Amino acid sequence: MAVDFGSDEWASKFKDEVNRSAMYKAAARGWKWTVGLVVEAEPDKNFPDSVGVVMDLFDGEARDIKVGPPSEAQACQFVITAPYTRWKQVATKELDATKGMLQGKLKLKGDLPTIVRYTKASQELTECTTRVPVRWPDES
Amino acid sequence: MHDPRSGQVARRELDTAKTVDFADAEPSAFASMLGGLIEANVDSRAERRRDFDALAARVGIWVTDIDEGVTLDFQRGRLVVHNGLQPQRDITIRAEADTVMSLSNLRIGPFGLPVYYDEVGRGVAMKLLRRRLRIDGLLGNLATVNSVTRIFSVAG
Repeated sequence: MAVDFGSDEWASKFKDEVNRSAMYKAAARGWKWTVGLVVEAEPDKNFPDSVGVVMDLFDGEARDIKVGPPSEAQACQFVITAPYTRWKQVATKELDATKGMLQGKLKLKGDLPTIVRYTKASQELTECTTRVPVRWPDES
Repeated sequence: MHDPRSGQVARRELDTAKTVDFADAEPSAFASMLGGLIEANVDSRAERRRDFDALAARVGIWVTDIDEGVTLDFQRGRLVVHNGLQPQRDITIRAEADTVMSLSNLRIGPFGLPVYYDEVGRGVAMKLLRRRLRIDGLLGNLATVNSVTRIFSVAG
């Protein structure tokens, strides 16, 4: 059943998908940093307020994923920021996250060698978002 | 940033004290990312620093699936990153974004040579064989390619 993008239910299903992924578990072995996703507001897309997603990821496991204010996501060790439309493109496989970062469509803050070392894990994390059925605010 | 008087992309005053500097007033996202990656790598690992301090070469990298590239001008202990491919390159690497990332994940083995027998290495070697990774100038510049690979490598 589809859930509202950026809702607590969405965060919970996203966490379940991450923890179901054997590929993520293998690729993210040794990862021990928090990741924040900042989804910037786009009022004309019926997404009026920016949202933060805080991901407590540890050694191939998602210990917690929660939605909150952008400031909480910005306090994480790695932060990826993009407007709502870009995140929707990533979650619907219209935009590859790696290419998006190289093109500056997704802005990354954090230690670059570390994130590059875990490229495969971050790609699988993106895959996990695509497996969560979502109701998009600009489509309702 | 475009300078209408010159018809050229605006250039910056370069800071010679910096390990990595950018030639363009507005470095592309790819230029910023690659420059940042190399700087962090060189600053954190003594063996990468030794390679960096010894390397003098102009290296182009073109990412074929986003149509963007950079030129890395290594000047023995200093790097100037240019947006796009600039002339007089010693080597030019052309590959998709994923493959460029894989190059950074090549492990460095005995004698400072990249490891092509593990999973990442085999993937890179297959892409070379299938021409999905092209390195123009490879034959005359094998030592440079190996140095650049070591400087890029984030693998342990």
